[in-house]
Amino acid sequence: MMPAIGFAADDGIEFFEKQVRPILIERCYECHSQEKKIKGGLRLDTKAGWEQGGDSGPAIVPGNPDASLAIKAIRYTDHDLQMPPKTKLSDTEIETLTQWVKRGAPDPRVQAGGTASGKAGMTVEEGRNFWAFKPAAKPAAPTVKDKSWPQTDLDRFILSKLEERKMRPAPAADRATLIRRAYFDLIGLPPTPEQVDAFVKDKRKDAFERVVDELLASPHFGERWGRHWLDVARFAESSGGGRTLLFKDAWRFRDYVIEAFNNDMPFAQFVREQIAGDLLPHRDAAERRRQLIATGFLALGPTNYEEQDKGMLRMDIVDEQLDVIGKGFLGMTIACARCHDHKFDPIPTRDYYAMAGILRSTRTLFNYTDNVARWIDTPLPLDPEAERVMQEHEQKISALNKQIAEAKAREKKASGTVAKATDMMVGMPIAAESLPGVVVDDSRAKVVGDWKKSQFSKSYIGDGYLHDQKTGKGEKTLTFMPPVAKTGRYEVRLAYITGGDRADNVPVTIFHADGEETVRVNQRDTPPIGGRFISLGQYRFEANGEGYVLISNEGTSGFVVVDAVQFIPVQELAKAQSGAANEVAQKAAAEVKRMEAELKQLREQGPDRPQAMSVRDDDTISDTQIHIRGSIRNLGQTVPRGFLSVAMQGPQALLPTAQSGRKELADWIASPENPLAARVYVNRVWAWLFGAGLVRTTENFGTTGEAPSHPELLDYLALRFIEEGGSSKRLIREIMLSRAYQLASISDGKKAWAQSSAADPENRLFWRQNRRRMEAEQLRDTILAISGALNLSQRGGLTIAGAGKIDANSTEAQSIEYGYQFTDTLRSVYTPAFRNKRLELFEVFDFGDINAPVGVRNASTVAPQALFLMNHPFVLEQAEVAASRALASGSRTESALVDLAYRTALGRLPTPRERDLAMRFLDCKENERQDAEARQKTLAQFYQTLFASADFRHIN
Amino acid sequence: MKTPFPMTRRHALKTVACGFGYLALAGLTAQNAARAASNPLAARTPHFRPRAKRVIFLFMQGGVSHVDSFDYKPTLYKKDGEMLHFDDARAVAKTGSGAAQRVMKPLWEFKQRGQSGRWVSELFPHMAKHADDYCVIHSMHTEGVAHGPATLFLHTGTTNFIRPSIGSWVNYGLGTENENLPGFVTISPSSGNGGPRNYGNAFLPPVYQGTAIGRSGLPAADSTIRNLANSSLSFSEQRKQFELLRAINQEQLRRNPGDQELEAVINSYELAWRMQNNAPEAMDISKESRSTLEMYGIGEEPTDNFGRQCLMARRLCEAGVRYVQVNYGDNSNNPAWDQHSNMPKHEEHARKVDKPVAALLADLKQRGLLEDTIVWWGGEFGRTPYAQNNGTGRDHNPGGFTVWLAGGGIKPGIAYGATDEFGHAAIENKVHMHDLHATILHLLGLDHEKLTYRFDGRNFRLTDVYGHVVKEIMA
Repeated sequence: MMPAIGFAADDGIEFFEKQVRPILIERCYECHSQEKKIKGGLRLDTKAGWEQGGDSGPAIVPGNPDASLAIKAIRYTDHDLQMPPKTKLSDTEIETLTQWVKRGAPDPRVQAGGTASGKAGMTVEEGRNFWAFKPAAKPAAPTVKDKSWPQTDLDRFILSKLEERKMRPAPAADRATLIRRAYFDLIGLPPTPEQVDAFVKDKRKDAFERVVDELLASPHFGERWGRHWLDVARFAESSGGGRTLLFKDAWRFRDYVIEAFNNDMPFAQFVREQIAGDLLPHRDAAERRRQLIATGFLALGPTNYEEQDKGMLRMDIVDEQLDVIGKGFLGMTIACARCHDHKFDPIPTRDYYAMAGILRSTRTLFNYTDNVARWIDTPLPLDPEAERVMQEHEQKISALNKQIAEAKAREKKASGTVAKATDMMVGMPIAAESLPGVVVDDSRAKVVGDWKKSQFSKSYIGDGYLHDQKTGKGEKTLTFMPPVAKTGRYEVRLAYITGGDRADNVPVTIFHADGEETVRVNQRDTPPIGGRFISLGQYRFEANGEGYVLISNEGTSGFVVVDAVQFIPVQELAKAQSGAANEVAQKAAAEVKRMEAELKQLREQGPDRPQAMSVRDDDTISDTQIHIRGSIRNLGQTVPRGFLSVAMQGPQALLPTAQSGRKELADWIASPENPLAARVYVNRVWAWLFGAGLVRTTENFGTTGEAPSHPELLDYLALRFIEEGGSSKRLIREIMLSRAYQLASISDGKKAWAQSSAADPENRLFWRQNRRRMEAEQLRDTILAISGALNLSQRGGLTIAGAGKIDANSTEAQSIEYGYQFTDTLRSVYTPAFRNKRLELFEVFDFGDINAPVGVRNASTVAPQALFLMNHPFVLEQAEVAASRALASGSRTESALVDLAYRTALGRLPTPRERDLAMRFLDCKENERQDAEARQKTLAQFYQTLFASADFRHIN
Repeated sequence: MKTPFPMTRRHALKTVACGFGYLALAGLTAQNAARAASNPLAARTPHFRPRAKRVIFLFMQGGVSHVDSFDYKPTLYKKDGEMLHFDDARAVAKTGSGAAQRVMKPLWEFKQRGQSGRWVSELFPHMAKHADDYCVIHSMHTEGVAHGPATLFLHTGTTNFIRPSIGSWVNYGLGTENENLPGFVTISPSSGNGGPRNYGNAFLPPVYQGTAIGRSGLPAADSTIRNLANSSLSFSEQRKQFELLRAINQEQLRRNPGDQELEAVINSYELAWRMQNNAPEAMDISKESRSTLEMYGIGEEPTDNFGRQCLMARRLCEAGVRYVQVNYGDNSNNPAWDQHSNMPKHEEHARKVDKPVAALLADLKQRGLLEDTIVWWGGEFGRTPYAQNNGTGRDHNPGGFTVWLAGGGIKPGIAYGATDEFGHAAIENKVHMHDLHATILHLLGLDHEKLTYRFDGRNFRLTDVYGHVVKEIMA
């Protein structure tokens, strides 16, 4: 510690040494000193430390305690800035530090070390020379010694590296293996034994090319390749997280992606539509629909709609969107820069907030006030004829709605004026039980404060009524809890006794399953329903939930009078209405009933306006301030909206002031001049065809990712891809027709193989193909294909049973997810993709978490997978179906059955030993019981064993 | 334990080497592949001498009212009914400032208990008898005002990001003591408020994910690990089938000698077979003595269900499971203890959990298990000392609440930290949920700053960049 030398006695140094320094050492140094930690970038063990301050700026303004962040922090007046975090300083300590600052914060600690700054990562300028951000120059295919081996230029890049290392590539895969691989890679389904035979026998030179072209043209191609992109887009059909909400229309995005692959949509267009479809020009309704649906990409993240701090929720959504754009298109973990400059990659926090400004000017939430927030459902335009019909239909509905409202008003007025009508027996007490729905009498309310019971007016329900005596305003409440036996929507009504001295603004809060609502009731007006009740609206309550109705006398001036609260299931409303009194009211009620029936019919029979989950530009377009340490309450400098500076080839263009800038962002990502997105995408395609990318960290092209094994090949493919107009199909075709793709994946037992294997065990140089694990969907689809149960005819549409008529933004849909029974046999890409309830097979086989972008699936081997294949009813059932199908196919002998099973399940014939094992199993069983049923059961067990076998899970 | 197959030496070596059957082959960094090549679930040496080997977390979903149970505040009686200004967390999140609220006194009478004289109310008469066995932390505070965010924060240290659960971190840090059982188990988990994310492994290898026993709403008596039994084959039939599978797999391996991936699959079947024959026993409480069953309140209402869950937890701990979470909750948006409008309903829940929890403590103690087991009791937040909307319930209170810890390395019979005079905000020796996480890891011998996993190019940890170990509560 520095002694206080050279300072006069009255310069405050003694005060510092005696009173201030001990507090700093005792209470602050633990987190803010060189010796311990430097949290928030702030040091308090030197004068320069607090002068420069931490991430939030200077900590102390000498002479001005009120303007000093450090003083604000120790005073605990700001919720988000309280120091020390564990225990507040004593009042004396706070006073001492405040005095010290007031006196100009004299501090002799000037010679101790520097400040906390010092960045380890790369600067933006340095970053421009990093391989991923450098402009791509098309490399010439290298010359190779073995001129006969390469089939394509691509092969020359591969072979040249191998020759450098004196390695030999693996031999070609046998034809049965190759066609199986091609089927799984292109359409995600196994070839039938007949398809294998046909290919093995086809001696034409272009036989494989024909298979590839045929499969690229199959509608199942999009189902397989769309699924790859859906992984990157973290596609799901519910929000997961806190209170999960059902994304009823997310399937449109899924189908959009599948169709995009089937139609070979140019990559640039694919990028533009997903990021900024709503801002693009369009020729017709079909194009507009597609563009709006595509923006679902930004909307279907794992959003925590329940977050109470909506400012934070907005920034969390922006962060998630930046994460999926960053990883998905740019191979960058941009989200790391939310709180500080990226520690490793050349992404300053400024860049994060430049891009965040674009997404913050984009609206993803319907509003910023809902207790449980919701997304935006955008009605979709239809083709001209359908649109005409639809608009006619919508006009009919709105006209009818208007008429219903008018009739209801008539009914309300009529029943209001006949308050003494007899069927509600106004003027006489009536029993709660005689009324429809559930009536909670005031005698059963939970009472807070002094309410007076009265039976003065005889027009009450149950056992009298309560009033607040016009005293203790703001101190009294009544709580009514509905005994809800069944989850559903209820009309809530309040009964009170009207009078001229009543309060005209009684606050009634309905705390329902989806939030809370406060309604003000004017008790000077006669209750409109039968002279007893007023409707408070319709709300959803959950069985045994915590819903309630709370009546307060806060802010009221007259008497607050409460008689009862009624909860009527909406479906029983008609019954309740028939109780309305006089002829006019009855007539109006009958009209309402008739028209509501008509409306219902109209809605059911008429066309439904399709809706899409989408985003749009927000009403306010603005740049965003840096959020220091990511906090929404600690704002710094405003940053103009822009892109990732390290990946920009020129200066940042100014973004429009009237639009978010998403369109410009998409244009920049998709631009042929921007090599990054093309590199990231072709690398993905390579990984989907080889099981590993040229850059194996498919979502991380930054400095902490892996460098490419073949940088020239990556650039060659990226530029070819751009030249070819961003055609995925051509890229896939080019790769599959290379010799490299067609190599064997498992050892032929020869010496050359062993040598290559020793030189490059991880196969970084692609001297062989990778044997790959079947992904969860392939596993399911293959089992269903073998049993014959796979339904290939339905391709797309809403596949969540029961979600058809659900309000997409209601939490009602939640119960659909929790209780979902997965029973369909459609392809797995159409299996409802809930975040909180996954299909068990998916969960067990590395497809459980669909919350974040994934380029290459995990391939774990865990015991629960074995248990699933041994015991799960799905596997048992499908094995039985497969067995009965095999028996029905006419295969007579056990030996023929064994061959058939091997060919359909594993794509090959059994080895002699395998046949022997199988025969013994089937025979031994047969000896026990000879009947057909036993035979089928044994064969089913045999199929199940093949499903469980190690080979079944792999694609060679 | 049944041993249906005599193990060959080769098999024994293989399965020991491969543990729970996990072998990472793709999608993992080289560092992790190296780790996975050995056994990812082998019991590992922690960073320093551990005070405990395992954790039982008794999750009180919905938020128990601390001012009605463990945090005694005389002021609430004095000022009952007064309208005072509070920085209500929901109001602050929505509007940036607090509001006037009506103070509501506790509904259950407080008494001093045991040698230590700790205050516990009549809400928990059985737990009250153990006041000398646990350390009460009064100064808890956390993130998230609503159930979803706060529940995720409790389990994963974040309200919104996709991060591993604390049980997964512990499993990753310590491995397991019995490879025939999962290392991290959650009994009767809720589908709501984050659902599986609360016991998910996120970016950690799948071998560390929590295994569910049953689910919320399913009686504990019917709950088991899924796919543990075959519904259509007898034991001898399945054994024959398993022999065939083993032979077929060996033949496939013969065609690809030395193939580690195939070996891993084969080993996973050996382990699955052993799990199928061992795990049911670890969950089966039928052989427990009558006095034990009675102690847990099994066979009587309203304690039967939670009693079974607690007893199962003890059995799993004995069998070597590292982290057991016992859930008291449901699937709704206002789970269990969430009494917004009807505080007396707390008693209904208390009657179901109080006796079993007390029994678990007594049982662990008498078996000597409490010495190296951490028992953690608590919810995702507490409740306000004032009435919500001036009604008859209490709203969520993430700014100050109580949990208790008992067992390995923890000072029993003490209270740590304090809330203000109302029990609203933690003010003295505050313990953030991150701090609690750091402390639990510390007791297990793990340094929360060193227990990291590299993902997306950077190291992640349970406590993000936060967390202080609360040494003061350690024995």
